[in-house]
Formats: sequence, structure tokens, C-alpha cells
Amino acid sequence: MEVISEKQISESSRELELYFGPQHLGMVGNFSITLKVQGDRIVNAEANPGYLHRGFEKLMETRSWIQNFPLVCRVNVIEPGSIEMIYSMGVEKLAGLEVPERGKFVRSIYLELSRVSSHLFALWAYSKMLGFDTVGQWAMYHRDLILDLFEDLTGGRVYNIYIWPGGVRRDLPEGFEEKTKQTLHKIGNKVPDYNDTFFNNRIFHERAKGIATVTREQATRMGGTGQVLRATGMKYDIRKVEPYAAYDQVDWEVPTRRDGDAYSRVMVVRDELIESVHMIFKLLDKIPDGPVYNSIPNPFKWKVPKGEAYVRSECSRGELGFYVASNGGKSPYRAHFRTPSLPHGLTVLEKALEGESISDTGNIMMSLYVTAPEIDR
Amino acid sequence: MNNKITELIESSFRDVDVELIEEDRVRVNVKQESLLTLLNFLKENRYSHLALISCVDRIEENFFELIYIVSPYMQQDESYTEREKVNVILKTKLPRENAQIGTAIEIFGAAEPYERELHEMFGIEFIGHPRLTPLFLEREYDIPPLRKDFDTRAYVEEKFGSIPPVED
Amino acid sequence: MDRSKLIKWLKEPMKMSNKYSLHVVYFCTGCGIIEIPPSITARWDAERFGVKPVATPRQANLFLITGYVSLKTLKPIIRTYEQMPEPKYTVSLGSCPIDGGMYWDSYNTINHLDKYIPVDGYIAGCMPRPEAIFAGVTHLWTMIDKGMADGYVKYRENYEQYRSNQEEIYADLGWPPLFGVSNQDEQ
Repeated sequence: MEVISEKQISESSRELELYFGPQHLGMVGNFSITLKVQGDRIVNAEANPGYLHRGFEKLMETRSWIQNFPLVCRVNVIEPGSIEMIYSMGVEKLAGLEVPERGKFVRSIYLELSRVSSHLFALWAYSKMLGFDTVGQWAMYHRDLILDLFEDLTGGRVYNIYIWPGGVRRDLPEGFEEKTKQTLHKIGNKVPDYNDTFFNNRIFHERAKGIATVTREQATRMGGTGQVLRATGMKYDIRKVEPYAAYDQVDWEVPTRRDGDAYSRVMVVRDELIESVHMIFKLLDKIPDGPVYNSIPNPFKWKVPKGEAYVRSECSRGELGFYVASNGGKSPYRAHFRTPSLPHGLTVLEKALEGESISDTGNIMMSLYVTAPEIDR
Repeated sequence: MNNKITELIESSFRDVDVELIEEDRVRVNVKQESLLTLLNFLKENRYSHLALISCVDRIEENFFELIYIVSPYMQQDESYTEREKVNVILKTKLPRENAQIGTAIEIFGAAEPYERELHEMFGIEFIGHPRLTPLFLEREYDIPPLRKDFDTRAYVEEKFGSIPPVED
Repeated sequence: MDRSKLIKWLKEPMKMSNKYSLHVVYFCTGCGIIEIPPSITARWDAERFGVKPVATPRQANLFLITGYVSLKTLKPIIRTYEQMPEPKYTVSLGSCPIDGGMYWDSYNTINHLDKYIPVDGYIAGCMPRPEAIFAGVTHLWTMIDKGMADGYVKYRENYEQYRSNQEEIYADLGWPPLFGVSNQDEQ
């Protein structure tokens, strides 16, 4: 029987305030969390965003509808294609523009390639938090091969301003479909190695199973969408609920898991990555011929009619929405992005960190897939 | 199927103005006093996902327009029905001076960060919110930044334009 | 190694070993962070140039400012810069720190970073490719050879001007001046 003295108890229950701050080796993105700890356990966590705030919604009101395209794709740097798509969907809804069939298929292929590259980035960040360096190097290499495809398509590796109101800017270049299939075969052939090294590894299981469990009631009460919900068993995916682009013309399934902990969320990401790769092959087989865009009126003098609209889509992190109001003028009157990282990074993160150990902070933050520039806009 | 929620709201509430603006979007104009009751009513009818709380500054007509967007999560685990596509957009008007309204946190837990952001960007006060501290901004401004009478170019010129470059 | 290089190593070993092992502080300040992981992993390997990220500013001598700087981020940047030991170099990526870039009229971003900390070089691109980052690093080597990368010397000499510019932005900076400023301590 151990006898613990009074002094030992009072010293070990002292509360300290630590900053998991912006300059930290375990932080991906410019974000800060203030932790109150007792010993090794977190008692209270408070998220501190705002390091990347640029005031997009104010800037968009002084630039014209077309000038906002290069501005808007910088809201989230890891997957710029999703934000271009949602802005374009909002403008098309207000102006009453239609997209031709081939344009819808090309948009879906571009969005699925963006989704695969974003999931590979998340795999690098997550495996770096746990200490697996080899898997991170492979994931970054495969992501670079996809960025080479984007460079063939538009000329830029990261910010390709490809989606245009009424379609896409130009057609697929020659040989693009062959190259895409070769790249995806290369990634697909490496999946058994990923499984052996990381996903079936006992160390990953012990570090991620049972950590930061978010049940379905908690997730629905706090506004969670995306992997946070799909890891609890609900098949909520906006591409099935309210289909846009060409998602209702191919067959695909929504992967889910049961438990709601960090392990389930990461496995849902892995299953989605494999499903996206299969979907791109199906889309490339079914793509019709025809024009890829319908022309719009002169962009320098374009006035979108008065009204308001709310559109939503599914990006790699959750439900992405856009509320726009127009007064019949040359610029938006009010534009507001509903990004999925805002409820995940502020409400769900503070609840999921209570009672966990300090060394799991980065692990939990990355399993919820919190990307900082999207919170602040 | 899409008109079901419009009939339900119209039959249970007087003096609201319900209209179907597109195929899947229902717009409801409601007065400030009955907003929270209507939100509670929608949540009990399985519309339990609060997607966004936003605000538009109508400076010419001199009011703020607060917007709440709610939609249903899935009702059954395996299949999708037409009902899940419908989003309800609730709008209410607030005066520009001294704008106050009760908080929606007890009904939807997801409302907390949106209300904090609107408080610092527009100056609206949400009564009963436990933590109305600054979220993104680092300092206080005389006029909250997203209002239409805050001129951002003049602010940048005045505040940062007068700092001299460093000379050897 | 040819004869001229061998002579350089023998004459100035400190400068040569400083040049070929620039350690970068791991701080993701803005949107340029998207091209840093490809630069430090296997495909575009940065370690063959001697560049690798380290955990704390006390162990680093290169500070990469990756993109725009907002008001809330400038304080940690100044604090991190002051904690680095000399000699230290600063390189910024993109066009936003030069002149404001596309956020020139935003109420929350800094337009000219040069007025607050000294910057040795700028790399063009939005975001610069990994090859452009390596070209920048090799240009920095030539500058170090000729003695042109002396931002830290200018910071020490003109510290009063830098400090008064920093105090114009923030009402209270929270830490005392780094180098002794005239007679303030004695009063």
C-alpha cells in the first residue's frame, strides 16, 4: 500500500496553462490552442483562431463578379478547386446559367482529383503527428504526381483557376486521359503497401482507437458534417442528398464506420480515397462529347440580377456552403462561405480534447481534419 | 413533398410569410419575437442541422437582416428521401442601432461560433450567450468592419500609410 | 573538389559551413505553406542543399515567411525573429510581403513587411514552385559570399526606427527592447 502525503497530492493537482501555439513543430497551419492541464491530462481547451484572417467578405464586395475568381480560390489552400466550384454554383444560380453535359463531367473529374490530393495531404500530416515518416514521404510523392496532372491541365500546380461560370475554361488537353489513368494505377498499386505499413499497423491502432470519441448525438448537436458524422454510421454525403455536376450519373457508395473515434475517421478517409480513384475511372469511361462551356455576357460589364441563393456541396472535409445576395450590380452585395472547419475546429475540438493526454493534441486535431485558413477566411 | 414543410409552418404560426423560392429552398420572413419559437418548432420536426447564421446590412432601408439556414439530417440510415434536400432560410429584421436578439444556443449547439463572429463583425448583441469575446479580430474598430459604412481603403491609408520606411 | 573551392574552405571555414547548412524555423505563417512539404520530402529534396526544418528558433538561422502577414501573426514573427541567434537571414515568398499583393486593401494585413523586420530577399510566385525556392537558396549563398546578406546587422544598427514602427502598430508590445535604447533604462 502506498502512502501518498498531502503535499504530493496538492502539487500534482496544480493547473498549468500551455500554448499549443502558432510556432510549434506539431502544428500544421497557423492556429493556436490554449490548454489548461493538470499533470498530463487536459482539463479545458480553448481554440484561438484569427491568425489568417484577411477579410474576404469585405474584399469581395469591391471587386466585380469575375474579378473574384482568382481571389476566392485562396480561401483554402489545400483544396482550392472546391471553393471555386461553390462560388461558381452560386453565381450560376443567381444568373440562371446552365452547364453543358461534357462540362459537368470535366468538373467532376477535376473535383475528384482535388479530393484525392487533399486526402493524401491529410495522410502526410496525420502520419507525421504519429511519427510515421515513410508513409508521409510516399503520400507527398503521390500527391506531387497529381499536381503534375494539374499543371498539364491549366499551367499552375496549386492555384488553377479552372472553373468558370457556365462550365470550365478550356477542354482537356490531348493525352490527358491516358496520363490520368497511368497516375491513378501507380497510386492504386501502392495501396497494399500503405495498408501494411500504416493502416494495419499495431502502433496506429493503439494510438488511435478509443481516442476522442464523438458520438452521433454529440456530432449532430454541434453541427458536425463530413467524416465526423460518417464515422458514426450516418451516410450523410451531399453528393448523394442533393447531387450536382455529374455525381448522379455514375454508381458509387458512401463509406462509413461505426465507432466515432480517431481510428474510424482516418479509416473513412482511406476508404473515400479508394472510392474516388474508382470513380475517376468510371467518369473517364462515360464522358460524352460536346462543348465544355456556355458563353456568358461580356465579363467586364456583367450585372447579375437581384436575388439571393444558398448552394452547398461536399468537399473533402465536410459540407461546404455559400450564401450570396445580389442587388443587381457589378459586385456581390454580400457573400458568406459556410466552411466545414468552423464548427469542427471551434466547437467539436474543444469538446473532444477534454480528458485526453497532451501528447495526443496534434493527433486529435488532424483526425478532425481542421484546416486553419478555412476557419478565418 | 416539398410543400409539406410550408403547409406545416403556415398552419401553426400566424403572421409569418412563407414562400417557396426554388425547388428546394423555402424562405420564411418572421418577426423578431417569434424567431426562437419557430426555430424550436423546426427542430422538433426533425430539421436539426443549423448550417449557417449570417447577416446582411441593408443600409439604405436602415435595418440588419439576420439569416438562419436549417436543414434535416438523414432520417433513416440507409436510404435518401426527397425531404433531405429542403433547406429552410429564416429571415428577420433588426434595427441598426442597438441590435439585440436572444441566443439560439439552447436549441442548436452549433450556433456558438457564428454568433460570436457576428457580434464582432456587425455589432449585434446576443442576449444569454456565455462567451461574446473577440474571435478573429485583434483590435477594436470604431465601426464594426463588415458594416457598409466602414471604408476599408480609407482605414488602410490612414493607419498604415503614415509609417515611414526604415533608412540607413 | 577543385583547388579554388578548397582554398575557400581553408580560408573561411565558418562562412562556408554556415552557408551550406541553413536550418529553417518551422512556422507556417501564410498560404505559402502548401509548397513547403513537397520541398522537404523525397521528390524535391531540400536536404541536399543543407536546408532542413528544426523545432525552435534558437536552433535556426533562416526564417522563411511564406506569404501574407496578418496583424495577429506579426507579433509572433517579430518575437521569433528576435529569438534567433546571429547570423540570421530572412527570405519571403510571394508578392504579398513586398507591397500587399492581392490583399492590399484589407483591414487586417500588413502591406510592407520591410518596415518591421529586415528582409534579405524575395522569391517570386504565388506560390513559388520548389525549384524557385531552391534557386532562391542558391542566390542567398552568393549573397552570403559577397557579404550582401546583412539584414541582421541593419536591425542592430537601426533598431530604434524598427522599434518605433512596431510600436505604432501595437499599443503595447509586451517585451522590452532587445538592444539597449539610449537612456531609457537609467531613468
